[in-house]
Amino acid sequence: MQSMNVLEQLAYYFAHNGMYVLEQFSRHFLISIYGVLLAAIVGIPIGILIARYRKLSGWVIGIANVIQTIPSLAMLSIIMLGLGLGVNTVIVTVFFYALLPIIKNTYTGMVNVNRDVLDAGKGMGMTRIQVLRLIEIPLSLSVIMAGLRNALVLAIGITAIGSFVGAGGLGDIIIRGTNATNGGAIILAGALPTALMAIIADLVLGFFEKRFDPSTRKAKQA
Amino acid sequence: MRKHKLFKLTLLFLSLVTVLSGCGFPGLSSSSKDTVKIAAQNTTEQQIMAAVIQQMIEHYSDLNTAVISNLGSGTVSFQAQKRGDADLTAIRYNGTDMQTILNESGETDPAKVDQIVRKEFKDKYHMTYFPSYGFADTYQFMVTQKFAKEHNLNTVSDLKEVAPSMKVGIDQIWMNRKGDGYDDFQKQYGFSFGRVYPMQIGLVYNALASGKMDAVLGYSTDGRIGSYNLKLLKDDLHYFPPYEASVVVNDSALKRHPQLKGILRRLDGKFPLKTMQKLNYQVDNNLQEPAVVARNFLKQHNYFERSDD
Repeated sequence: MQSMNVLEQLAYYFAHNGMYVLEQFSRHFLISIYGVLLAAIVGIPIGILIARYRKLSGWVIGIANVIQTIPSLAMLSIIMLGLGLGVNTVIVTVFFYALLPIIKNTYTGMVNVNRDVLDAGKGMGMTRIQVLRLIEIPLSLSVIMAGLRNALVLAIGITAIGSFVGAGGLGDIIIRGTNATNGGAIILAGALPTALMAIIADLVLGFFEKRFDPSTRKAKQA
Repeated sequence: MRKHKLFKLTLLFLSLVTVLSGCGFPGLSSSSKDTVKIAAQNTTEQQIMAAVIQQMIEHYSDLNTAVISNLGSGTVSFQAQKRGDADLTAIRYNGTDMQTILNESGETDPAKVDQIVRKEFKDKYHMTYFPSYGFADTYQFMVTQKFAKEHNLNTVSDLKEVAPSMKVGIDQIWMNRKGDGYDDFQKQYGFSFGRVYPMQIGLVYNALASGKMDAVLGYSTDGRIGSYNLKLLKDDLHYFPPYEASVVVNDSALKRHPQLKGILRRLDGKFPLKTMQKLNYQVDNNLQEPAVVARNFLKQHNYFERSDD
């Protein structure tokens, strides 16, 4: 092994452990996705709520901001005190970090909906729910998507640290590389897929974000 | 009409939350009841055995498994097991447990250590120590063949003359350990080393082979002892207790999953020292993941199919 250079070692590693890397890749992705999904389920309604009751917005976004300033390793340890070791701790950590971008973007998206359009909706006799469903959400969807995109990229990074509480994922491979003799190739074998995942997630959600953007949608229909 | 819709939305929201948080996350086997959680430390040997146990359980039963890997020391994995975060630890070393968990030192007779630890773990912590895997892992001082020849070294006591000028790399866990750590080592052998570098255990062999250290304290099972042709120094004062390796399972888990016992017993004595060194070597030197090495090994031995008892 010592005779190979890092690239050859990397190829050798993938050839021998391909399935394992794939398993960890999907595990890593699932942990990130679950965290973000939970955050979306909680965060989007909160965002809608504080857009309606603006007085709350300062408080809620302030709290989410404070959560964001806690270093991720510290957050992981604090949550570990309550939930113990394992994958749930990481999912909850990801959840907390994903809250801010999601709440903030939902709020911004809702607030920036043109008041004239809202008035027109009301004038047509729409109920509040209908205004929300037919006007506000469609018009702010692209901004909300941008929040999800931020959150997911962030989540993929945090999940890598999750290996310290035994959650598995690609971080496991990186840590093993730091322990092994000549582990350079192993570190790369863990780090490159992590980066790749973040880039792909960013591109895919970026695509949806553009799709949902009201201005481009109109252009297509015209 | 409006209220009805709001009600529907709330219901949908609530049910989503319960589905997602209540019964574990699909694909991660996180918190459901039929998941066996295996704790493993950050050493190669532990991760191999964790993978072996995981694959054995999946081969012989429908139980799900989750490995909690990379734990920092035996004490951490013990706490995890005590709290119920983990159901079993892939490898526990009875000598270490006697010193660090039970706080008893002085006993170095392997049979007695085995007896004491087995009984105390059962009574105090309701955990079952299984029979040994067949290998004992012990700390051993090692030097390069060249250094041994130069200073005529065979035993740890021989180090006394050269110790004050030596650079020695040791396991960071060992540094502050009570009972069989560095402090008591100095008392027993009556000398200390010039400079001591606590480091991650996986790195010591390389540090020794590349000449950055004069001697290191490593694990006797490591595959790199062979590949670097290192000289082991005999522990002539029998300072280090025996560290017979076995799996330790919570009694509650054994009760919940009665089939576990039979599955784990298949591994009794199947890993003699040479086998373990070979497996460790494949991971440490041949760029293979512990899980892959474990799979190949189990396939080769047909998952120990014929050792029903």
